[in-house]
Amino acid sequence: MFDTALNANDLIFLAKGAGMTLVVTAISVFFGTVLGIVFGVFRYQVGPWWAAPLTFVLDVFRSIPLLIQLVLANAFVTTVLGIRISGFTVACGVLSLYTAAYCAEIVRGGIESVPLTLRRAARSLGLSWRQDMTNIVMPLATRVALPSWIGLALGVMKDSALVYIVQVVELLKSTQILITRLQEPLFLLMVCGAFYFLISFPIARFGGYLEKRWSHD
Amino acid sequence: MKTSLLALAAVATTLAGPALADKLDDIIAAGTLRCAVVLDFPPMGSRDANNNPQGFDVDYCNDLAKSLGVTAEVVETTFPERIPALMSGSVDVAVASTSDTLERAKTVGFSIPYYAFENAVVSREGLDMANWEGMKGKTVGATAGTYEAIWLEGKVKEWGAGEFRPYQNQADVFLALSQGQLDATVSTVEVAEANVKSGNFKGIKIVDKAPMVPDYVALITLREEYGLINYMNLFINQQVRTGRYAELYKKWVGEGEPANLTIQGVYR
Repeated sequence: MFDTALNANDLIFLAKGAGMTLVVTAISVFFGTVLGIVFGVFRYQVGPWWAAPLTFVLDVFRSIPLLIQLVLANAFVTTVLGIRISGFTVACGVLSLYTAAYCAEIVRGGIESVPLTLRRAARSLGLSWRQDMTNIVMPLATRVALPSWIGLALGVMKDSALVYIVQVVELLKSTQILITRLQEPLFLLMVCGAFYFLISFPIARFGGYLEKRWSHD
Repeated sequence: MKTSLLALAAVATTLAGPALADKLDDIIAAGTLRCAVVLDFPPMGSRDANNNPQGFDVDYCNDLAKSLGVTAEVVETTFPERIPALMSGSVDVAVASTSDTLERAKTVGFSIPYYAFENAVVSREGLDMANWEGMKGKTVGATAGTYEAIWLEGKVKEWGAGEFRPYQNQADVFLALSQGQLDATVSTVEVAEANVKSGNFKGIKIVDKAPMVPDYVALITLREEYGLINYMNLFINQQVRTGRYAELYKKWVGEGEPANLTIQGVYR
């Protein structure tokens, strides 16, 4: 089992794959969260009736498997629109919208968790909608939404394994390339799992730390 | 009247516009040629120690890109993914050892064959065998159920002399051959060359090519891209003419003559 053909070069190759996974995840989670906040606030603010078209679009992103979204988006951009863009751009775009769809729900749930009476009290004290949102709703909603958001970020990191379909060589694809060459699937999958753990664990712990810190003040 | 004519002209130009540039123009304009290559099929496609693509097909893709004056982008695909990758527009051509079957030709456009998988007769060293007919009366074997096993068994029956032994897998056949349980076997030239070169099987040698119909493989692209198919046909012709075909064969497969890509008695 420990007699392996894996060398330092291959480990660097895997680390590069892990780097790609991190970059794709970071970009998608960032834009996904920004869009998710905008969509979530919009949905809460305008009510279910006016938000119905947006809700429908977000539901489409949530219910169609990511793999299919990636293939269709890639085909649409390259053949229908005739634009040559890299698989990386397509991957980040699709994954951002996918993240945004989930994040919008988390944001909406967070806002709804703030007691309406508290917000009415804030408004009756003369705070504007903007002040109410930033000073009352945001701090309280963030606390409620944080655990789900960390879960979403970790989920997106693992879902990013699917971007291999648009020719982005991330961690799992690099592992598959090595498996084809070295023919040691179990060992390499263990190494790959260890890499995923190495990059996910700090994020999970950081979330736990924030939760703990915010719960005391 | 005048406005409607103008509108008609505008509509006509928008309709005709995209049709003018074909895939060949698109590739040259984009500056990259995206080739689908199967990378778990040595010696045609595999990865080197630094995990970079290498092999006959990879070199062939690079040559094609060079002739077009663009850079090559190797897109790894599996055998079943080749045609879907073409149809979905994620690659321009497939340089992926695709057999030119009539069934596939209903979906994609084939160039002329750029390579052919032939079969070789491999025997024990020290055995007096000048050509493939020397197998007559000998003990021969191959992997059960394969194309070459069926052909070999048929030949043994036809000769009415010798014996045919089926084996579970290719490695067993070569092991039996090197241990002297078999006098000769038939396998693809690529497998035979690789096994002789690997040194895992001592005392075996390639005698001759087996007179079976080779498996001709061609480059593929979208069915309607005649400009590109035409270009690829001429490119393959030039590869053979300039000796690049033989050079790549020597580099990836081994010594000896590469397969003849023409068929006696018919055009193309």
